[in-house]
Amino acid sequence: MSRLILFLFLTWTTLATSQTEGPPAVSAPKNEMAIPEVSKDEKKQEVVDFNSIKEILKNDKLEPVVEKKVKVVKVDQKKRDDILRKKYMIPTEQEFWSFFSEMWLVKRATQLKWDFKRPHYGIEQSFKLFLEKMGFYQIKFKILVVDSPSIFHFGLPSNPDEYILILSLPFIRSLDLSQTEISILLFENFYRLRMGFMKAKVTTPELTKYLGSDFYNKPFDKKLMDQLLISYDDVIFKKGFNFQEQFAVTKEVGTIFKNNLKLWGLYYKLVEKIDDLVKSNILFKNYNSIYPSPELQLGWLAPKKSNLN
Amino acid sequence: MALDIAKTEMIKLTYYKNIFGHLHRNPSQFSSSLTTLACNHPVKIFKMIDKNGKEQISVDDKWYYASVGSHMGFIQMEYLSDKKVNCFQEQYPRFFDAFNLDLTELYYFGRLYDQYFQETSTVK
Repeated sequence: MSRLILFLFLTWTTLATSQTEGPPAVSAPKNEMAIPEVSKDEKKQEVVDFNSIKEILKNDKLEPVVEKKVKVVKVDQKKRDDILRKKYMIPTEQEFWSFFSEMWLVKRATQLKWDFKRPHYGIEQSFKLFLEKMGFYQIKFKILVVDSPSIFHFGLPSNPDEYILILSLPFIRSLDLSQTEISILLFENFYRLRMGFMKAKVTTPELTKYLGSDFYNKPFDKKLMDQLLISYDDVIFKKGFNFQEQFAVTKEVGTIFKNNLKLWGLYYKLVEKIDDLVKSNILFKNYNSIYPSPELQLGWLAPKKSNLN
Repeated sequence: MALDIAKTEMIKLTYYKNIFGHLHRNPSQFSSSLTTLACNHPVKIFKMIDKNGKEQISVDDKWYYASVGSHMGFIQMEYLSDKKVNCFQEQYPRFFDAFNLDLTELYYFGRLYDQYFQETSTVK
């Protein structure tokens, strides 16, 4: 009996070997980590049920050999699983946000009209110098100018030490801003990002749990990503920030600028300009629902009368 | 900008380092795109030699004359690396594929890096 089983076992080994020669089952695309083929031992394990011939193996003292084989198969399977799992990883919190914000910009390209021929304003140089003057170093930033009044100025969530800032050309043109005033406006957005308000608004517990996990052997949660795109739209185009958030940002930026009265004065004047514009130009009437409100900001910035006496 | 290129000579092999980008017909980010390229795509850099034998490595210290596949055009120097880089779409291939970006979206992804004003503040 045991001879018959060994004969069958050896026949299967030969067949399994011949099957592994030839093209791999999964062709790995270029630049991706190749997935190891299913090993001979794994294939044998799929067909030979060692439990059903336990007694025979015991009599033939083949148990240690089987144990060794089973261990090898498990290690091979784990290696394959680990490599496959890696391919299905979801980016971590540290790597997700810049990609997703850019994805949002791509998906909303026609609405935002950022792909247009515009002059080189030199705003990146002046904002770089501004940040350095304020003592913020090693800050990588990307500024995207949009030819649309549907967004005024905004900071999108990004990876640590990177900032994606949006500026509306019709908005800054209507305000007739100088390079320094543009830098102040960008700085306010930069600070709002540092305070994490936008990220907190669009993050859900499901998303936090999903980031850094994987979807190996599970369907991709497309709904979660679609919902996040909608949340971006909601905050950027409709809901914006609340009074508390706007108060916190204004106070923080105002405090930083108080060390340089010229800058503080320019910040105050900038908010005044914005207040006048949003009250007079119908194109920017939605501004107060996104950043409530320039009029209140002026009140928060102005020194208290008791301090002046 | 009209460039009089009589001859070219390959000087090095580089790799594109943003998520997506474009090879342009002329040394300007607003000139038409010859092809969209993905992160880590090999880019061959050529020096330009005019009919008088005058050599030029770059245009305005910003653009290289380069070949990507069968296309010859201009690409921004700052977006190239001498070594392969860690690319998002290679690090998270299935996640990236799951977004099913169409050709227009891939084109826009590349255009973002043409349109960005980018800088990093540094300690003086």
